[in-house]
Amino acid sequence: MEHEEGRRGFLKLGTAGLAVAGVAAAATVTATAQKAAAQAAGNSVLRTVLDRGKLIVGTGSTNAPWHFENEKGELVGMDITMARILAKGLFDDATKVEFVRQDPAQRIPNITTGKVDIVIQFMTVTPQRAQLVAFTRPYYVEGIALLTRPDAANKSFDQLLAGAANTKVSILQNVDAERSVHEVLPKAQVMQIDTQANVIQALESKRADAAAIDLSTVRWLVAKNPNRYSDSGKKWFSMLYAAALRQGDPDWLNFVNTTFNVAMYGHQNELYDAAFKEYFGLDAPTRTPGFPSI
Amino acid sequence: MLAAILYAIPFLMQGLLTTIVVSLLVVVLSTAIGGLMGIGLVYGPAPVRWLVRGFSDIVRGIPILVLIFFIYYGLPIAGLNLQPFSAAVLALTVFKSAQVIENVRGAIGSIPRGQMDAGKAVGLTFAQRLAYVIAPQAIRRFLPPWINGVTDAVKGSALVSLLGVTDLMHAMQQVIGRTYNALPLYVLGAIIYFVINYGLSALSRMLERRFSYIRE
Repeated sequence: MEHEEGRRGFLKLGTAGLAVAGVAAAATVTATAQKAAAQAAGNSVLRTVLDRGKLIVGTGSTNAPWHFENEKGELVGMDITMARILAKGLFDDATKVEFVRQDPAQRIPNITTGKVDIVIQFMTVTPQRAQLVAFTRPYYVEGIALLTRPDAANKSFDQLLAGAANTKVSILQNVDAERSVHEVLPKAQVMQIDTQANVIQALESKRADAAAIDLSTVRWLVAKNPNRYSDSGKKWFSMLYAAALRQGDPDWLNFVNTTFNVAMYGHQNELYDAAFKEYFGLDAPTRTPGFPSI
Repeated sequence: MLAAILYAIPFLMQGLLTTIVVSLLVVVLSTAIGGLMGIGLVYGPAPVRWLVRGFSDIVRGIPILVLIFFIYYGLPIAGLNLQPFSAAVLALTVFKSAQVIENVRGAIGSIPRGQMDAGKAVGLTFAQRLAYVIAPQAIRRFLPPWINGVTDAVKGSALVSLLGVTDLMHAMQQVIGRTYNALPLYVLGAIIYFVINYGLSALSRMLERRFSYIRE
C-alpha cells in the first residue's frame, strides 16, 4: 500500500528527478528523501484538485458583494472572484470551479471533514479559528463604516460627530455594539437592531442618521445606489478576510498564497482589479516595480 | 413593496420546486417507514417493539437541527458520505417517521381490543384483520394529527437551507442578499407557505369527511 502510493507519487511528480537518479545506482539515501517528498506531494489537496480537473469551493449565495446570485442566477462576488483566480492558476480556466453552497456555520466543519478543497466565504481571521483550520493570506481588510442618506442634512462623518448626542446610529445587535460606535462617535445614541437589513431600514425610514455596517456593504450599496445611500467617509475596526483550508497541507496552502499574491501584487491582476472596482467601487493601487510592496 | 414582490417571484421558482420535492419525499417516505414501524410497535414481538420504541424516543428527544448536522457530518465517519440534499431529506424523514410511529400507535390503540378478537373469531388472518377491521377505523383517527405533521414538514423543510440546499427560504435569502430589502420577500414567503399549507388543510378536511363516511 505504502509502496504503491510512493510509486504513484513518484511517477506523477518525479519524472525529472527519476532521470537524474537513474544514473546513480547507489543512491539509497537520495531515493529515500525523494520518496518522502513525492509522498507528501501525492497526498496534497493540490494533487487531488489537479487530477480531478476542477476545484471544489465552499461558499455562500446570500451576501452581496461577497457571494450572491446576479439577476441571471449566476454566482458572483468578491469571494467568487478569488475562487476564479485559483481556477485560472490551476487549470488556466477560470470556469473550472464547483461551488458548494453552505451556511456560514458550515465553514469550518466542511473543511475539517474534507467536503470542500477550500472555503472562500468572507471569513474573518482569528487566532481561535486558526487553531482549527489553516488561513491563507488575507485578500480584503474589512471594517465598520457609516452609511448615510445623501438627502440628509448630516451625512459626513464630521457633521455626525458635531451632532453629538443628537446623532442616532443603528447597528446590528452584538456584545460590542455600543463600544464600537462610541469608539468614533463618543456621544451618539446607539440603536441596536436585530438584522442587517433592518439596520439599513432604520436609516431609510429616518429613524437613524447613520447605519454602522460592514465597510464592504457600504461601498457596495453606495456604488449601486448613489441616489439612495452615501458614505460618511469614516472607517475603523480592521478585520482580515482570508480563505481557509485544512491544516497539515503546506503544498496546497502555499499554492493558494502564491496565486493570491500574484493576483494582488504581481502581474496577473485583471480578475482581482475588476472585482475590486465592480464590488467596492475602488480602483486598485498602482503597482510600482522595484522594491517589493509585500 | 408590490414592485419588489413581483421582481422577486421569478427567482423563487426553483427554490419553491425544491421545497415541494423535499416535502413530498419526506412525507411519502416517513409515512411508509413510520407506518410500518408503528404497526411493529403495536403488534410486533418484544425485540421489535423495544427497537421501535428506542428509535422513536431517541429521535423525538433530539433537536432536528442536531439530527441534520449529525447525518451530514457524522455518517461520513461510518463511510456514508451523503450529498447535502440527500442528507437533509434523510434527516427530515427520520424525524418525521418518529412522529408517524406515534400517530399510528395512538390511532390503533384507540380501537377497542374487542375488534381484533372479533376478527379472530370469524377466522380472518392477521393481515385481513388489519386491512378490513382495524385500518378503516384507525385511519380516521390517524389523519388529523398526520396532516398536522405534513404542514409541519413543509415548514420544516426550510431547514435544508442550513446545508446549502436552495429551497424557497434560501432562494428568498439570496434575493435579500442581493437587494438588501428584506420585508417584501418575507411577506411573499409567508404568502407562498400559507397557500401551500392552507391547501393541505383543505385537503385534509376533505379526506376526513371521506373517511368518516361508514360504508354499509
